[in-house]
Amino acid sequence: MKAAGLLLTVLFAAGLARAQEPLNCHFVPGWEQSEPKRQYVADNLSDYKDGGAEGYLVYGFVRMTGVTCKSGEDTLAIDISEMNDADSAYGMFAANRDPSLPIAAIGMGGQMQPQSASFAKGKYYVELVVTAANPNSDRTAVLQAFAAGIEGRLEGRVTAPEALAWFPKENLISTRLVPESVLGLRLLKRGYVAKYKQGQAFIVIEASPESAAEVLKKLREHFDGASPAAVGDEAFQVKAPYLDGICIFRKGRTLAGYANLPDPGQAAAQAAQLVARIP
Amino acid sequence: MIPNTSRREFLSAGLMLPVAGASSRMGLWPVSSEPSAADTGAPVKLDYKILGRTGLKVTTLGFGCMITSDPSVIERAADIGINYFDTARGYQHGNNERMVGAALGPKRKHVVLSTKSGAQDKDGLLKDLDTSLHELNTDYVDIWYLHGKGSPAEIRDDMIEAQQLAKKQGKIRFAGVSTHGGQQQLLPWLAQKGVFDVVLAAYNFSMDPGIEQAIAVAAKAGMGVVGMKVMAGGFRSIKPGDPLYKKLQQDGALLAALKWVINKPNVATTIPSMTDMDQLDENLKAMAHPFSTSDEKLLAARLELIRPLYCRMCGQCDGACQKGLPVADVLRFLTYADGYGQFALGRERFLELTSEQAAVRCGDCAECTVNCPHGVHVSDRMARAQELFA
Repeated sequence: MKAAGLLLTVLFAAGLARAQEPLNCHFVPGWEQSEPKRQYVADNLSDYKDGGAEGYLVYGFVRMTGVTCKSGEDTLAIDISEMNDADSAYGMFAANRDPSLPIAAIGMGGQMQPQSASFAKGKYYVELVVTAANPNSDRTAVLQAFAAGIEGRLEGRVTAPEALAWFPKENLISTRLVPESVLGLRLLKRGYVAKYKQGQAFIVIEASPESAAEVLKKLREHFDGASPAAVGDEAFQVKAPYLDGICIFRKGRTLAGYANLPDPGQAAAQAAQLVARIP
Repeated sequence: MIPNTSRREFLSAGLMLPVAGASSRMGLWPVSSEPSAADTGAPVKLDYKILGRTGLKVTTLGFGCMITSDPSVIERAADIGINYFDTARGYQHGNNERMVGAALGPKRKHVVLSTKSGAQDKDGLLKDLDTSLHELNTDYVDIWYLHGKGSPAEIRDDMIEAQQLAKKQGKIRFAGVSTHGGQQQLLPWLAQKGVFDVVLAAYNFSMDPGIEQAIAVAAKAGMGVVGMKVMAGGFRSIKPGDPLYKKLQQDGALLAALKWVINKPNVATTIPSMTDMDQLDENLKAMAHPFSTSDEKLLAARLELIRPLYCRMCGQCDGACQKGLPVADVLRFLTYADGYGQFALGRERFLELTSEQAAVRCGDCAECTVNCPHGVHVSDRMARAQELFA
């Protein structure tokens, strides 16, 4: 009797553990795991993602765990990538989302399509892909159920990076995290970029006001013909090949600005709107 | 492969050279001892080869667009004269193709543009191709690769049919295959198959010499060979923060690695990833200067750095493991994973060990009884294999 009770306890604990596991095929009835779970680290991610692996590594990829589930003729691949931090996970999501589709309210942000879904929560980036017998079928409901189940079992932040809210909303098309070389300039190491109907804005947060000032100084030296602009703590504007009209300013330890506008004056005017939104 | 006939061609500086010089002034990329053309304000020197039977004349430095964030870098590369650009349907779920198409704009017709699809059947491939053409804003791609194939079994007849149909429809000019692993078996098979015009292969100075032979077979059969992962340095497990990392990034070694591939007669072009203007300027130097003895020394030094980590598979291990571990074998499995990116193969072999061998943990031994005549730190490497595979 005691042994039976112990067995029941063990089975219950195992079931509970399975139910709490984010990589779980049982969020929707009728789905079963079809093959062993897969695990990848930076060293071997290209075995699974081929050349696309580099796109994960640049966002601070740590490891990926995945499972394939099956229901009838449909298969569902779930992959959960752990990134260095929540911002990187969000950056991975933003880089891979379809900018023409809305962001769904799941985790820090997600996207649902008829046969695929993705979202970021905490330091995790989650991808779900259905392969259906009918390639035109809509599996949004299944994906939503799985996404909600996984999201509920992952720890971490559910709000998008704060800096994204600083970009003015008018004529905004999309935002993303650029993991290195913002505007194609190595000095701007990592930051947020917003694409507008005309031009783009960026925000880079340095370690300190001093380091931000040093980077701004080097940037100004980089652009021939740069002239001062009255934005933030210090700023310059210039017209340059490939980036057109630019204005870059510093506010505390934040470097930000606009590029690809017809003239530097316009970039400075836009930058004045941006600086007012930066705390 | 037809040897380069226009190595002396130059592109006049035009508008972009002041920018080239300016971005070089930032000097954050590892500095080589040789001044770049951009540094000196001299014209950028372009080097060309013919891409096998395609007859396409490509710059030996191409552009891997996968992790490029800002289109300005691609635009400037095209203005300078780089004429081979590579993307894939799967990169950032299509966002990369869209960015590349927008960046090239009207310049697209002056460059060789390649993309890839990883779809697993004919319909999926052709659907991907139509999407790629739309996103790249072009009527055709010059080379369309089957993405990431590691063995002949992964290339089915209906995939080849898709490529042939796309050719007939004028949506692609040439058919290719990209491969990261299994190249020693795959490349000769592709060459023998005769339906692929181009292969995009992982290739760098630290790889098994057998890959060079496989590439030679493909080139001899008329296939154009494009090199990727050319600066991987053959060692992926060293990450920023590791004391070795800085040494591996030392001055000029990356450029030397790029030059090493560019100067291989059977490789027509290369597609290093480039995210900023400095990187572009640095890589341009690879076309201006041949692989030199100083480059050779740099790469030799780099190999020395990785020597404690890499088994050469010479079979000359000194001593034997007291716990019966087949040390040379396990080191070889680890080299599959760390050196050649063949984790699955390495793990598969490791799991073939007996349960007693697989249970050994080298960290439990006070001293290792096996020594490597080439300086591999045997116990450290064995411990890594146990951590990675067990």
